[in-house]
Amino acid sequence: MMDELELLKRDWQQQEASLPKLSYDEIYKMIRKKSSSIVKWIFLISIMEFGFWLMITVFASSDEFQPLENSIWVNILNGSLEIIPFVVIAYFSYRFYQNYKRISATDSARKLMKNILDTRKTVMRYVWFNIGLFAIIMLIVLLEVLILDPPQEFTQKIATADSAIMAWFLLAITFIFVIAILGGLLWLFYRLLYGILLKSLNTNYKELKKLEV
Amino acid sequence: MNKELEHQFVTELESNQNIVHKVCSLYTNNRDAHNDLFQEITIQLWKAYPKFRGEAKFSTWMYRVALNTAITLYRKSKRRIKTQDYESVVFKIKAQEYDDTEERQLQLMYDAVKQLGDIDKALVFLYLEDKNYTEIADTLGISEVNARVKMNRIKNKLRTILNP
Repeated sequence: MMDELELLKRDWQQQEASLPKLSYDEIYKMIRKKSSSIVKWIFLISIMEFGFWLMITVFASSDEFQPLENSIWVNILNGSLEIIPFVVIAYFSYRFYQNYKRISATDSARKLMKNILDTRKTVMRYVWFNIGLFAIIMLIVLLEVLILDPPQEFTQKIATADSAIMAWFLLAITFIFVIAILGGLLWLFYRLLYGILLKSLNTNYKELKKLEV
Repeated sequence: MNKELEHQFVTELESNQNIVHKVCSLYTNNRDAHNDLFQEITIQLWKAYPKFRGEAKFSTWMYRVALNTAITLYRKSKRRIKTQDYESVVFKIKAQEYDDTEERQLQLMYDAVKQLGDIDKALVFLYLEDKNYTEIADTLGISEVNARVKMNRIKNKLRTILNP
């Protein structure tokens, strides 16, 4: 085997003559072309994600939401729910930009892969934060409505139901079910996105990392 | 970017283009893909060039960027052709230079190397380019000991592919 690899090495170093040869002009034209690297795709997709959630945040907060009761804690809660998403998006955009700037083709293979994956991870964390926040807001709004100003229909149903606990239980189940479906769809979407974009990168990174354990 | 830098870069790449072609032939299976990868490597090299300050030899610096592009940055086309179908761009061994058995053996070896994973190919490539383990380890970002261990495993893997 060793001899064969040595044989290959000898042949390898003699192959120069059979290699293609590009002219100065051909190479010159190439440096004007646009890159279609994975980093560019990741950047575009991430920007789209930030844009999407920013739109949702702006849309959600411009919505004139009148607190049902002027109690201080409801106001504080609603107020912070409007401010927090913007603080968070600022933080994550900054982290994303920092990570993105760090990606350099002149690093070692392992470091390059790690930086790319970290950049993606920042965006993923941001997306999960939004999903979590979305779930919390839904829960709070639901509770505010139910506790502070329950619709007549609902109070009647609860009152006429065989067991009020059962009605609450069903409500909770429905809520969890809706969240699970939405979360599942998003998870599927990301599996696909990751599958297409990052599968080989992940495999290669794991292989290098495995070596170092 | 200024003209002088462009000229300097293209001239250096033109005279060192063999390195890039060798990486391309190892990681692609047909001429279109070869040219496509060559172009992406050229773009990546050019993007990184302003930061290249001659701290290493231009060729040494190229190995890193070229391999990183092939392994990580390049998005492989889905219309990839299976290894068996390709008309190899580079690995054509001239019949008159070797006797039949040696030629056959070499062809088998090339085919076996082409079947390896991305990281394994990079190690073999650097090994064939006569890089020492310090350089191999540095390019991949692993320790020297692990580079040696990995290389031994690859040799075993090649042995298995050649003698199933």
